[in-house]
Amino acid sequence: MTDRRRINGPLGGTAPPVFVSSLTSKTTSPAKRTRAPDELRKIFLKTGLTPSASGSAYFELEPSTPTAASECLASKAPALKLTCTVHGPRPLPRSAPFSPQLLLSTRIKFAPFAARQRRGYIPNVGERDLAAHLETALRGVLIGERWPKSGIDVVITVLEGEEDNSWNKGQSGESGRTGGWGMMSILSGCITVASAAIIDAGIDCIDLVTGGVAAVVRQPTAPPQVFLDPCPSDHEEIFAACVIGYLQTRDEITELWTKRSIMASTDDNRANTMEFEPLVDQAVEAAVAARLVLIEAIKESTEVKVQTSQFGHPKNAAS
Amino acid sequence: MTLTPIPQPLTFPALTFAKLAPPSFLAAHLTNPKGSTRPSGRTPTQTRAPTCNTGSLSHANGSAVVRCGDTAVVCGVRGEILKTGDVAEYEAREVKGGDEEEEDDEGDEDDEGGKERRRKSRRDDTAEMARLNLLVPNIELATGCSPAHLPGGPPSVLAQTLTQRVLTLLHTSDMVGMAPLRIWFQPPRETTGATSGVMRMGGDMEEMDAREEEGEEMARAEVKAFWVLYVDVLFISLDGNAFDAAWLAILAALKDTILPRAWWDADREMVLCSDDPVEARRLEIRDLPVPLSFGVFEGDGLGKGSKEKEKEKEKGKEKWVLVDMDGFEEALCREEGTVVVGGGRRVVRIEKSGGAGAGMAEMRGLVDLAAKRRKEWMGVLGVH
Repeated sequence: MTDRRRINGPLGGTAPPVFVSSLTSKTTSPAKRTRAPDELRKIFLKTGLTPSASGSAYFELEPSTPTAASECLASKAPALKLTCTVHGPRPLPRSAPFSPQLLLSTRIKFAPFAARQRRGYIPNVGERDLAAHLETALRGVLIGERWPKSGIDVVITVLEGEEDNSWNKGQSGESGRTGGWGMMSILSGCITVASAAIIDAGIDCIDLVTGGVAAVVRQPTAPPQVFLDPCPSDHEEIFAACVIGYLQTRDEITELWTKRSIMASTDDNRANTMEFEPLVDQAVEAAVAARLVLIEAIKESTEVKVQTSQFGHPKNAAS
Repeated sequence: MTLTPIPQPLTFPALTFAKLAPPSFLAAHLTNPKGSTRPSGRTPTQTRAPTCNTGSLSHANGSAVVRCGDTAVVCGVRGEILKTGDVAEYEAREVKGGDEEEEDDEGDEDDEGGKERRRKSRRDDTAEMARLNLLVPNIELATGCSPAHLPGGPPSVLAQTLTQRVLTLLHTSDMVGMAPLRIWFQPPRETTGATSGVMRMGGDMEEMDAREEEGEEMARAEVKAFWVLYVDVLFISLDGNAFDAAWLAILAALKDTILPRAWWDADREMVLCSDDPVEARRLEIRDLPVPLSFGVFEGDGLGKGSKEKEKEKEKGKEKWVLVDMDGFEEALCREEGTVVVGGGRRVVRIEKSGGAGAGMAEMRGLVDLAAKRRKEWMGVLGVH
């Protein structure tokens, strides 16, 4: 089915470029992680990018191997870049049934240039799945009773996402339609950026929700270990990963998503990294660290808001 | 006898006034005795200063982030490969092969005939590019960039018109050169004599013989595939003048685009690319046409006495040509248009609709302004 409202390109279809290096050398080792296991990538978070929306925020994670960016066309280290806008709260249309609570709708869309494979404009299953996860993460924080008969829209655009394999490993594995490990850090970023945008919009929340990821990773020599904020292309194999939406002051979890097999905790207190609970604990650690950045970003934007309310907007100063 | 109460004039904060009576608010600003200024503090012919940042997306071949006032745009250009075998009814055109071409062009420049030939081949190139759909621009507004554009539905009318306008301008302005988009197959020298005849199908015998003679001297290169450029523009924030911002982002991204060296591998029957950045090529950008969008605001004589209104009727309505409008002004102007000016003040395109407020004199002024704006943009793009 072709989308007649957009320009679709040649009818015969096009193929993404194939690099010689991906055909010849099959066993190149992935880029090594240079961070410590409990060290997060630097987060950039800024609110107020879209003045016409009620709230907006921009989130960026620096690429995990920044030096390799210019050396090779085939495998550039991607950064995670997300923008989020929040519209509302606004009245529901008259035709909508009565709702005693604020209706939350979340949408996540990948830009066509977000991944190595060009993505279309029609929303796919993976995006819907992520949006559903985000909705659960946010619903627990909003104080919905304060806005009966109204709704808010949270719209996230993924400008650049992470992928499981670097080019050299080919397109094998489970990085198919539903997405692989990269989706986990995207979701974690989405939770944090949406939280910032909701606060920018001035919507009442019970606490600040932030996202965190941790993963159990195979190591070449040592036994498997839990890493915070894993970048999928840094590791040879990830056994299991966990994303969390966490409220620190209330010590509550609004969203929990683990992937792949992990053992339920056993009774004896042996320190086994392949267990569920240590993994969740580490994800919580990551979420707590992201919260520091979120607080700073909110402080910054609030200061600007206070200034403009005192002296008027610079734009309107002349009138 | 009762005292007639002295009527107190109503006072509002400026923002409330703007919401209650937008046309009068704008008219009041423009009729300012100290000189017309717009609510944003700009004069009617003042544009918003753009900022531009290129190469920030790692998955795209070229990218740019552009911000003009409160309008912010991200553009990513991505190259994909279209094999000639996948094109229905593909007709191979007679084009000069890969690397020799540039030298030939230089040589031709002196004589008139060469120039004419060059112009014709450029026209043919553009026609071929349009026929093969090698440039695929799409503009996405449904990113929540303004409350009017929320996702969850087909692209809005505005998004569709913007996309079509961009596509037309890309083709009519003839700005992207065809040469770097062709992917060649250079047959190895030993087999030249045997293959050259096979490759040229559809030619008559005499011509084929001529080719074969030629082929003995030089291996015959063949176009096996094309680069298709997907140009995707996403609006992060929209506050008026979507077209200019989108176009500036496209220009910057195309200028930033690097295509890896690609060739046809006869053994694998596929196109391969080299990941060495040294071998990669930039696009051939021949011209950088710059648009200037404007609107004509007609004062309805609001906020004036009836006598003044009478006077106005005699001499016609007041009108202002506003350049690079923001969202507030766009909602108030029925007459809108765009002037596109290329290098050497070449007028590439003029479009205007909605009224007859801007006449010949105004349009001439707008072309001058567009030329001025082009200079500003060239500075932002780093072209001198």
